[in-house]
Amino acid sequence: MLRVSSRAPTETIMPTLLEAQTAMRASLLHRDHEAISAMLAGHITADRLDIYRNTFIHTLTRALQLSFPATGRLVGKEFFEGAAQFFMADHPPREAWLDRFGGEFPDFLRAFPQAKSIAYLGDVAELEWAVNRALHAADVPPLDVAELATVAPEDQGRISFVARPSVSLLRLAHPVDSIWRAILASDDDALRQIDIESGPINLLVERRETGIEVERADEPSWLFLSTLCAGQPIEVALELAGDLDCPTALADHLASGRFSEFELATPQNARQLR
Amino acid sequence: MPPPTIGKASLIPAKAGIGLRFQHHQAVLDRRPDVAWMEVHTENYMGGGTPLKYLDAIRRDTPISLHGVGLSLGSAEGIDRAHLERIRKVAERIEPGLMSEHIAWNLVGGTYLADLLPLPMTEEALDIVCRHVDQTQTYLGRRILVENPSTYLAFGNSIIPEWEFMAAVAARTGCGILCDVNNICVSAHNHGWDASAYIAALPTQAVGEIHLAGHSIKALPDGGTLRIDDHGSRVSEEVWSLYQEAIARFGAVPTLIEWDNDVPTLDVLLQEANHAAGFIARADGDHHADAA
Repeated sequence: MLRVSSRAPTETIMPTLLEAQTAMRASLLHRDHEAISAMLAGHITADRLDIYRNTFIHTLTRALQLSFPATGRLVGKEFFEGAAQFFMADHPPREAWLDRFGGEFPDFLRAFPQAKSIAYLGDVAELEWAVNRALHAADVPPLDVAELATVAPEDQGRISFVARPSVSLLRLAHPVDSIWRAILASDDDALRQIDIESGPINLLVERRETGIEVERADEPSWLFLSTLCAGQPIEVALELAGDLDCPTALADHLASGRFSEFELATPQNARQLR
Repeated sequence: MPPPTIGKASLIPAKAGIGLRFQHHQAVLDRRPDVAWMEVHTENYMGGGTPLKYLDAIRRDTPISLHGVGLSLGSAEGIDRAHLERIRKVAERIEPGLMSEHIAWNLVGGTYLADLLPLPMTEEALDIVCRHVDQTQTYLGRRILVENPSTYLAFGNSIIPEWEFMAAVAARTGCGILCDVNNICVSAHNHGWDASAYIAALPTQAVGEIHLAGHSIKALPDGGTLRIDDHGSRVSEEVWSLYQEAIARFGAVPTLIEWDNDVPTLDVLLQEANHAAGFIARADGDHHADAA
């Protein structure tokens, strides 16, 4: 019978499978090859272990590049790859569904000392993550507006909605929607004209039949929709929306399919939410 | 969204197919190439949106096989039930003709290590893999195929030859084997095995699919070389030669061209699939001649 390895092990180490896998994890995440090297057959150079580590780094860097293309162009390939390596060592994926890897990257960039000179970098990344979420969100049918007709007029204030999974509402300190568009369009003129200090923005990000949409919203509109998307009853959202034309806004949200379900908050719950 | 329709053929034929990647979604829909079946990575269709729409449309004409890379059948700590459920949901939607996974692992300590990592070939690992194949087949309510890995290192406590490990998993769990001929070529070179003997040792009736892909050769500082399973080029002559040995032994089985790095045009993939189809036709002819 052929042996698995033609080279006899120099010493016999009999790790459990869990010990071997834990040692491999240290090798991949932190380039700590010591424990795993002692478990391998024959003399294994770091080169062979680095093949696995390189695949690990390449796969995750590629996943981040796909999710954060504008962020990548802002900082350049080399910087992005370096930041990605620091990030994946601290925040490796927790599951095999890599579409969801990278949610902590915007906050990581905000705290990353080497990126301090680009104050808006974390905001660009946060917008890109919302776009990424919208791209990959589950296909959930929109709420059938006819169902709302079953609610008695006096109970309508207690309606609360569940937002479609592709909808995100962002409040960001810099005008990064303009930056994001200019970068992806490689429009240097547009980029130069952006006033970075023009103040915070409110954004609605969603997936429509035609693709991903990123739109600015004024403060009352944004507050009204984000309150509804947070599952608060209509009557609470109305109170926060100031002089917004709420019936028109709500009709637009329903027609645009921004909610998937609704329920009636009990009167007691509605009061508590307030 | 309308309910997905069932394609005209839901089973995977014993013919040549191609790995379907995002780059070719639109080209496949536009051109409807004459290819017997396609395979996708299950993990790429776990969300909603555009990828699923393409796959729904493509599968109306073309049988689809689901090939997972993330279930980690070899994890000592168990497989991720949430991931298994995601796989089940994709299968429910896509109604694949075949489903497959790997004899490998990538999950430990709550971390997904984003590669197909090698297992020690031990009785402990064999027990764990078999338990997880059982669990998966029970949960999905169907048979799966498991693929032999490509590896660059071996554990000192490995006592079971890989081909025996593969055969034992199939025998104990009733699963099939996805024989990756390129992986056999790569691992045989890297570990000094006899690739032909590996193929000859696999249980014929268990092999339900073959994978073919390109690999590269890396020079090591010590003067040796490693073969790297990078799926970034055409199938090598050596692998085509091994493939002929494989189908001479296993008969015509569904055969997939995989290409994941530097993905070429759809035409190049179709050429490679046609090349495989030629060997399958000849193997079929030989088989019938033998029978007569």
